[in-house]
Amino acid sequence: MNRIAKLAACVLAAVALAPAAPALAADQLHLYNWNNYIAPETIKRFEAQCKCEVVQTYYSDNEELLAKIAAGAKGYDVMVPTSNAVEALIRGKQLMPLDKSKLPNLKNIDKRYLDTSFDPGNTYSVPYAMSTTIIGYNDAKMKELGLPTDTWAVIFDPKYLAKVKGRVTVLDSANELFAAALKYLGYSANDVDPKHWDEAAAAIKKAKPYWAAFNASSYIKELTVGNIWLVHGYSNDIFQANLDAEAAKRPFHILQGMPKEGAVLAVDNMVLQKGAPRPDLGLAFMNFMLEGQNSSELTNLIGSGNPNTAALPFIKPEIRANPAIFPTPVVAAKLEQLKDLTAAQRRLRNRLWTEIKAR
Amino acid sequence: MATGAREAAQARGKWLVSGPPILYLLVFFAAPTLIMAAASLRTPGEFGGLAPLVDEAGKLDLNFDSFARFFTEPVYLEVFVKSVIFATATTVLCLLIAYPLASVIATSPKRVRSLLLLLVILPFWSNFLIRIYAWMIILGPNAALARGVNGMLAWFGAGPVPLLFSSFAVLVCLVYVHLPFMVLPLYANLEKHDPALLDAAQDLGAHAWQRFWRITFPLSLPGVYAGAALVFIPALGIFAIPDLLGGPNDTLIGNLIKQQFLETRDWPFGSVLSIVLTVAALALAGLAAWFGQRATRARALVDA
Repeated sequence: MNRIAKLAACVLAAVALAPAAPALAADQLHLYNWNNYIAPETIKRFEAQCKCEVVQTYYSDNEELLAKIAAGAKGYDVMVPTSNAVEALIRGKQLMPLDKSKLPNLKNIDKRYLDTSFDPGNTYSVPYAMSTTIIGYNDAKMKELGLPTDTWAVIFDPKYLAKVKGRVTVLDSANELFAAALKYLGYSANDVDPKHWDEAAAAIKKAKPYWAAFNASSYIKELTVGNIWLVHGYSNDIFQANLDAEAAKRPFHILQGMPKEGAVLAVDNMVLQKGAPRPDLGLAFMNFMLEGQNSSELTNLIGSGNPNTAALPFIKPEIRANPAIFPTPVVAAKLEQLKDLTAAQRRLRNRLWTEIKAR
Repeated sequence: MATGAREAAQARGKWLVSGPPILYLLVFFAAPTLIMAAASLRTPGEFGGLAPLVDEAGKLDLNFDSFARFFTEPVYLEVFVKSVIFATATTVLCLLIAYPLASVIATSPKRVRSLLLLLVILPFWSNFLIRIYAWMIILGPNAALARGVNGMLAWFGAGPVPLLFSSFAVLVCLVYVHLPFMVLPLYANLEKHDPALLDAAQDLGAHAWQRFWRITFPLSLPGVYAGAALVFIPALGIFAIPDLLGGPNDTLIGNLIKQQFLETRDWPFGSVLSIVLTVAALALAGLAAWFGQRATRARALVDA
């Protein structure tokens, strides 16, 4: 009995002391980030500069982040959600306003990406990096089959799809796929007219028999090994697939195709979670990442778009010349950021989406 | 007096032993289920989560909208029926594969037996997702299997079929993942059978099939029901396999629930779908237990 009592005392002591433990550890910045979304050398330099440790946890989509925060997850300093998720977080009162006096490097950001409708005046967020949702393709196969790669028609029109049946994947995301279909039909990606949604759903259903799968995870690998020739996917993923194909010395390249109808632009932004343990470190990190060279390293690593004008001189020339990553002004004007849907709109879209996927 | 004290001590002992598991079930099963039931009656929040319980007008916001939606929009019921079909097919296939395997293990010499059992459990040593990704490679269009199958089909004049990203791939992987859950309870049951019964049957002139169908199979029914429940229930709710291996039509109820909590941010409807799933699973577990009990009673009669 005595031994058990001692053991219980030890456990109780451990439980009581546990919350105090982090305070004794070195200074830590808790970064809740996309996987592989900051260059390792950038982290090392920041850690040396702030004499702190960067602790990263990862999410694979905005919905995962929103679900976790809505369920009450705490303890993050900086998070990097996409604009529409930033809007949801602001309205859900989950963010902390930024002290701009601590962010002198904010001047480096291209004015086009500041003061947007998602966060007027950038009260809560500063742009980090960008990506687009576009077409990715196996250059050898597309050339052999004579298919266009600059239009959504190649993803939605059976006339083209007949030649690549079973070799196409589209993203397993209702928001992304509806946006692409709406663009293909000539509407805005943010169109919320239910009639237009029905048209988009009809276009998707017409094309579906030719698609191999709805896939948001393994299509990079399938492109790289040559099983899949054409995808609706994220620009960063397609860039990665090409790096992998080159590394494996495949006899083809995986290229990015920017549809002439326009596409979805995703701007990821740094924000501070409300109740962040170390907002001071968070702001120091943000200002650090707004420096040109630090920002450029991510673009050089994963081929992300970059809203930072001071980063441009540090970016590899072949990436700067890539029109899918740094679009021409004509195309840039047709890119749209997705807006958050209301609860009722989300329900309607989910019904359409389930009908698409289940039948 | 003394017996009274002993009874009291016994009762205390019983509570001490059964208390923790009961508490565990209350905290980790009953409470979450009740929370889910409460969430299913609420309204989704505009930005995820739940809308406030009491709305601006001070009225309590509880309703059956989400339940009504499940029963009035046919597509959701369709997905549910499809999931039941997939889970049933998985259970039947697992049973057909596991039964001979379990008999072989149960009738093999003791030393070989533990090795064979180890082999059945071996797949658990590698991560679930890694095993699924392995299937993606095995079923891929450039792998030997797909080439062989499509080569044969071409020989018969049929067009090539994709193996990966298809209902076939989903079913293969469901069976693969759940097979050990069928083998183990079947083995545990078959191992206990008295070989003297089969000898007696043979002496009385029963041929092999009769011996199996009249003696072994009825006696093994509790194992069959236990295995069926262990396979059917997880197979009904799975989402990772259809997500990774399924084709454009392979959405199951598990995927639908995941969607409600992530992309659609509709907790009430997600809760409704989960409740329907839980009720179905409980009903089936109850049914399996009932059949199992009946079979055990029948066995007691045989034993007598």
